[in-house]
Amino acid sequence: MASEDEVSLLVVVVDVNPIWWGQQAQREPEFTLSKCLDSVMVMGNSHLVMNRTNKLAIIASHCQESHFLYPSKHWKAGDAAGDDAVSSSRDGKYEVLAVTNDQISEEVRNLMARTEVKGHQTDTLLAGSLAKALCSGQEMKSRILVIKAAEDCALQYMNFMNVIFAAQKNSIVIDACVLATDSGLLQQACDITGGLYLKIPQKSALAQYLLWVFLPDANQRSQLVLPPPVHVDYRAACFCHRNLIEIGYVCSVCLSIFCNFSPICTTCETAFKIPLPQMVKPKKKKLKPAT
Amino acid sequence: MDEEPERTKRWEGGYERTWEVLKEDESGSLKATVEDILFKDKRKRVFENYGQVRLGMMRHLFVVIDTSRTMEDQDLKPNRLTSTLKLMEYFVDEYFDQNPISQIGIIITKNKRAEKLTDLAGNPQKHISALKKAVDTTCAGEPSLYNSLNLAMHTLKHMPGHTSREVLVIFSSLTTCDPSNIYDLIKTLKGLKIRVSVIGLSAEVRVCTILTRETGGTYHVILDETHFRELLTFHVKPPPASSSSECSLIRMGFPQHAIASVSDQDSKPSFSMSHLDNSSGPGLTLGGYYCPQCRAKYTELPVECKVCGLTLVSAPHLARSFHHLFPMDAFQEMPLEEFEGERFCEACQGELKDKSVFICSVCSSAFCVECDLFIHDTLHCCPSCIHSQSTS
Repeated sequence: MASEDEVSLLVVVVDVNPIWWGQQAQREPEFTLSKCLDSVMVMGNSHLVMNRTNKLAIIASHCQESHFLYPSKHWKAGDAAGDDAVSSSRDGKYEVLAVTNDQISEEVRNLMARTEVKGHQTDTLLAGSLAKALCSGQEMKSRILVIKAAEDCALQYMNFMNVIFAAQKNSIVIDACVLATDSGLLQQACDITGGLYLKIPQKSALAQYLLWVFLPDANQRSQLVLPPPVHVDYRAACFCHRNLIEIGYVCSVCLSIFCNFSPICTTCETAFKIPLPQMVKPKKKKLKPAT
Repeated sequence: MDEEPERTKRWEGGYERTWEVLKEDESGSLKATVEDILFKDKRKRVFENYGQVRLGMMRHLFVVIDTSRTMEDQDLKPNRLTSTLKLMEYFVDEYFDQNPISQIGIIITKNKRAEKLTDLAGNPQKHISALKKAVDTTCAGEPSLYNSLNLAMHTLKHMPGHTSREVLVIFSSLTTCDPSNIYDLIKTLKGLKIRVSVIGLSAEVRVCTILTRETGGTYHVILDETHFRELLTFHVKPPPASSSSECSLIRMGFPQHAIASVSDQDSKPSFSMSHLDNSSGPGLTLGGYYCPQCRAKYTELPVECKVCGLTLVSAPHLARSFHHLFPMDAFQEMPLEEFEGERFCEACQGELKDKSVFICSVCSSAFCVECDLFIHDTLHCCPSCIHSQSTS
C-alpha cells in the first residue's frame, strides 16, 4: 500500500483516430468511441477514488494534435466560480468525479468537432502524445496507459524509441491496451519499461479489462495473476529491404543495419575498409653456416 | 576583469571578488539574486553541439582510478575514495545508458603498481559490484601513471580500428612513480590513436597537461563534488571520432528472446554461457537469448558470444544511440514579458511562471524551464515537432 502522501499520477492516452473509429462504427455499432470513453471515465474515476492523493490526466491522440482532455486549461480559469460545480453533481456523485466526467465529454466533443481530417494525415500521433504525457508526469510518480485503436505508423519509430528510453530512464511504466491489431512498437515499449501489454479479445468488455488488469499500480501487481508477457520480436529490420534479420552488418559510423555486405553505406556514404584475407608469408629458413 | 593581460590559467587570475555576485534589491532582500543563480544552475548545460561531425559510437574506455595515499584526504566527503567510487557508479550507469554497445574496464593504481579491477566488458553489473567492493581497499603509496597507461594500452591496442580507444584517468596525487620515460609512452599512445583524458582532484600537474594535449584529450581539475559530477557527465557523450579511425561494417547478431514458462511442454532448462564466470550455483534457466550463429544461450544483451565471437545486440540498443547522430538544437530563450501567446507550457500544460520561456525554432512552441531541461537531457525530441509527421 502506498504511503498516504505519495502522489501517484495516471495518464491515459486514448487513440481517437476519427478514421478508424468511423469505420468501427460501421463494423460494430455496439462499440463506438463514446462507449470507449465511458469505460475510460469509469477507470479514471476508480483511480481517483483508490487513494486521496491520486491524480489523473487524459490525453486524446488525434491525427493532427494531442489534446489534454483532463485537466483542461480552459476550465482552470472557470474553477474560481464554484456555482457550476454544485449543479453538475445531480445524481449525488462525488463532485470531483462529476466535474472530471463533464470536462472530458465537453473537451472530446470540441476536439472532434473542430478538427478536420486532411487527406494524407491518417496516422495517430502516438509518439507526440506520449512525449507530452512524460513531460507532465515529471515531479511525481506516474504511469502511462495507452489505449490503442488504429495501426502502427512506421514513420514514428525513432521518436517512439526516444520516448520509450526517456520513460525507462525516469522509471515511468507504459501499459498498453490494444483494441484491434497487435502493435510491435507498444510491445517493445511495455517490455522495456516493464509494463503490461494486452490485446483485448472482446472490445465490448473494455471496462472490465481496464479495471481488472490496468487499475492496480506497480506495487500491487506482484500479488495478482495477470496475463502473461508476450513474445517481443527484437530482431532488427534491414535498411535495404525492411526484412527482419538475425545476423546483419552494422555501419560503425551511422549504425544502419544491412543484410548483405556492401562496400558503401547508403545512409552516410562512407566507404568501408574491406577486410582482405591475410597473406601468409612463407617463412625463410635460416641457413646454418657450414662449419 | 576583461582587460587583464595574458591570463592563460584560471588559477593565475585569482578569485574575482565573489561577494559582488550577490546584489541586494531596494528592500534589501537577496531573493532575486538567489533565484537567478538557481535558474542559471538549471540551465548550466554546455551545449557542445559538434554539428555534423562523425562520432565514435563504439567506445572502449579504460578508467584509471588513483588509489594512492592522497585519496584518504577528506576534502571530498567522507573521503576522496568513497566519493570517487560513488560517482563512478553513476558514471558507469550513465555511460551504458548513452552508449549501449560500448565497453568499460577499470584499473586502479597504488604502491607504484597498477592492476585491473575489471576487464573490458559491456555489462554494467560486473563493474558496479566491483566498485562497491573496492570501497574497502586501503589507500597506500604512490600512483604510477606509466604502469596504468601501459596496462590499458596492452589491451586497447588489440581493439579493432573502427572503435574509439579512450582512457580516463582520475588523478589525485601530485606525483607519479614511473619505471621509465613517460614521454616515450606518450608517443606510443599517440601512435596507437589512444585518447587520454585526465580529471585532477588536487591541482594541475604538468605531465598530465602534456599527456592530454598530445593524445587529444581534455584535462580538468575539480572544484568540488558537483563539478566532479559535471566533468564525468561530460565524458559520457561520445567524442568526435579522430579522422584516421576506420569505418567498417561490423557483423552483429540480433537474437530472439525465448520466454518459456515451467508449464510449457517443449521448454528445456539449459546452462547460460554468461554464468560460466560466476561460481554461484549451476545457473539453469528456461528462457534466454540464443546466438543465431552457434545457439549458445545468454541471459542479457549486449554481449559478445564466447563461442563464436559474434557481437549480440538488440535493435533498441542501436536505436538508443540515434539521438547522438541527430542532435537537437537548443531552444531560444525569451523573457516572459515579451512572449505573446497563451501562458501555458506546450508539454506539461503548466502555467509559465519563470522569468523566461523557451521557444523551439522549428515549431515556435513555448516550454517552461523544467520541460526544456527534460527535453534536451532525456527526451531528445521536441514534443510539438514530432506532431508534424514528417520526421522518421
